Amino acid sequence: MSNYLETVNCLPFYLIVAAVLIFVVAMCVVFLVKSYKAGIALGMDPKDLKKVMTSSATFTLLPSISILLGVIALSGTLGVPLSWLRLSVIGSLQYELNVAEIAATAFGLSGLRIDEMTMSAFVTIALVMTAGILGGLFCSIFFLKKYLGKLSSKPKKTETGEKKPSFGDHATTAMFVGLCAAYIGSYVGRIAPGEYHDIMPLFTAFVAAIVMAVFEFLIQKKDMKVLENFSLAASMLVAMAAAVVFQLIL
Amino acid sequence: MNIQDKDKFFEEFNNGLHRLGRFTLIAGIIILMAVPFAFGVIVGVMPDMPAFLKGWINVAVVYFPVSVVEFLVYAPMLGAGGSYLAFITGNVTNMKIPCAMNARDIAKTEVGTPENEIVSTISVAVSAIVTTLVILIGVIMLVPLQPVLSAPVLQPAFNNVVPALFGALGLKYFAKSPQIAVIPLALMCLLCIFVPSMISQTSILMIPSGGLALAIGFILFKKGKL
Repeated sequence: MSNYLETVNCLPFYLIVAAVLIFVVAMCVVFLVKSYKAGIALGMDPKDLKKVMTSSATFTLLPSISILLGVIALSGTLGVPLSWLRLSVIGSLQYELNVAEIAATAFGLSGLRIDEMTMSAFVTIALVMTAGILGGLFCSIFFLKKYLGKLSSKPKKTETGEKKPSFGDHATTAMFVGLCAAYIGSYVGRIAPGEYHDIMPLFTAFVAAIVMAVFEFLIQKKDMKVLENFSLAASMLVAMAAAVVFQLIL
Repeated sequence: MNIQDKDKFFEEFNNGLHRLGRFTLIAGIIILMAVPFAFGVIVGVMPDMPAFLKGWINVAVVYFPVSVVEFLVYAPMLGAGGSYLAFITGNVTNMKIPCAMNARDIAKTEVGTPENEIVSTISVAVSAIVTTLVILIGVIMLVPLQPVLSAPVLQPAFNNVVPALFGALGLKYFAKSPQIAVIPLALMCLLCIFVPSMISQTSILMIPSGGLALAIGFILFKKGKL
């Protein structure tokens, strides 16, 4: 067993994963530089663009740490390198755990169990995990250009050259409202007793919402625009801390 | 730059992004698929193909429709550059989308404008780079860090990152357009209370929920009430 874990955590595996991640980061850097330059060429304020970068970076920090926890969770059975790769590229913990479990049973194991793992099971599971979630990539390669082209009917200009309001603006907000409603609904559903009973998600969401409401009040009514960058991350952090306290009380 | 120049410049920029995006994604798929085989070569075993096919079919049945829906819903929110990056770096729902929305809010760009596309791409790229770096640092520190982060007392915090995210975002968006939010929110709550098996299916739930919100938004827009 220790032999299996030693093998899946061996140095060459780390090097392979590092090489793949360098490719992905390079891709991001190229897109970033191209877009930044295009933004400047279009006359956007470099200050605004920098603000976008800072806020995106701060916004990402917290959820990234949770992904790191996912790496720790997965590494117990699949080793650090594969878990590191899966959760850095495409994957999310929930998907990866599900897929690894499905792949393990397809291989003939009783589940993703460390005491049953072999190297042959490991490479097979790795291949299923990789191949199983390429759907979004294929869609992007084949359909993204056409799909976005169809959607972007250029905003109609009125005679004065001003843009006529279009539904596009509201469509994104509406879609996002729907997305949030689905998640919040699932947290509300968890209050009911039964298999899924868990009040923590709703409690955490509720605290986050209250903190966010305070931030929104300060930003909108008190004109404290500087808080915009931190409102989301700070609301989440307070809510997560509240979850820890709440669990201790329970 | 006048409006026509701007449009032309942006069209060329966008076409460039599509070319680059397609090329890098194809390269990305080949590289990713090669990794398990590379692992296999190093340890001298190869993936078991019948088991792979069986597992892959089971996975594809569940996740292929999900990825198609995610593509259809998220691509318009992310724009061209943002989509290519988000679909290869992942964590689209929980990270890239909120991150891009947040960035647009901050930059105050309008949907459908070149500025908006640029802001989305920048935000997704920065987000992906930061995530990769955080995970890299984490992996390096994994051994000393593990006891702290996996301390049982902190688990509730990390188990509830997603609820914290949607609580905060929900407030923001529900407050923005309460007329759109009321019905989908009420329906989703009722559905999850009366059909508990839906609770674990949020990726499916968001289809009717998003569709309903869109429809309500469209009706309100046509009536001039938005």
